[in-house]
Amino acid sequence: MPGWQALHEEFEAKGLTVLTVALDLEKSKAQPWVDEASPTHPSLIDPTHVIDRALGIVNVPMAVWIDETGTLVRPAEGASIEVSPLRSAEIPEETPDRLKALLTEVKKMPDTAEAYRDAIADWVEHGADSAYALTPEEVVARSQARPPEHSKAAALFELGCHLFETVGKDAAVPLWKEAHALHRENWTYKRQAWTLESTAEGEPSDLMQEVGDVYGTSWLDDVMALGGGENYVVVPTLD
Amino acid sequence: MLLTETTIDPAEFLTGTGWEAKPEGLCKGDMCVPAPEAVTADGQLDVETIAERLGMALVSDSESGVKALGPESGGRALTTAVVPELELTDMDGNPFKLSSLHGRKVLLVAWASW
Repeated sequence: MPGWQALHEEFEAKGLTVLTVALDLEKSKAQPWVDEASPTHPSLIDPTHVIDRALGIVNVPMAVWIDETGTLVRPAEGASIEVSPLRSAEIPEETPDRLKALLTEVKKMPDTAEAYRDAIADWVEHGADSAYALTPEEVVARSQARPPEHSKAAALFELGCHLFETVGKDAAVPLWKEAHALHRENWTYKRQAWTLESTAEGEPSDLMQEVGDVYGTSWLDDVMALGGGENYVVVPTLD
Repeated sequence: MLLTETTIDPAEFLTGTGWEAKPEGLCKGDMCVPAPEAVTADGQLDVETIAERLGMALVSDSESGVKALGPESGGRALTTAVVPELELTDMDGNPFKLSSLHGRKVLLVAWASW
């Protein structure tokens, strides 16, 4: 959040507004992060993942670029503007095996932070003439595929969120589980559901997300099942 | 979007899905799909007909009868590059329309605490 706020401050006078959307079912979990960043940019919350359905978001952080007319010039893609400190951190020898395996996969995630940041600056400067601003046809073509099962996953996730609020978590879990199986590449459905099992009240969210008892999996197991850290991010094509 | 009935008011459907009922059919941005049978005699939209026509999954909770309609499918995640009118809320609970930022470039970033 502080990074996005800094980006907003840097480019606001040049015509760019950064808009951050928290995909948090529980607002209280997002609030401390927002408070810390003291955003002057619009900071929104989307507990049922409207932007997954409307814009094709499947993980965080991801972003879309919207021009002055309300037209997308880049579809949903991995959006990182700072290199994660986890990437360069040495993995100590005594690290437990599971955590070591997880950190190894994190290091394999393609890192486009610098190029992505430069691309934003280029777009702010040159608008539609920027090489990074795509035509409407390119935007649609480069968005993720959406087979019928992804539509069902979206509906199940949303209905699960409704049951979570009205009945309780146990009512939501079977629907979320089915949603996860139908749209495996959507990490927002998984990580949101899993954190309710793996994060203790008042604790920061747990990277490991070992949720075998309820979901029969974990973050690491799912990353491996989908081909490892290399495939975790929708890498922006910036050439 | 969540539903409790099998028919829906066109304005509500537009807000919930980005699809607008026009004389030429159901339209989103520059894309229109003919669907004459989707409009009922009293001007409402028949959800099951639309779901089938646009590839929208329809699931329901048997206890409460509440239904959820998924987004259109069968192609790409984006049907059009035109951003639908999205209304979310800010952290203080105030409604925020994406269209209020027309005239500016917008970098919309999804993040989460988890």
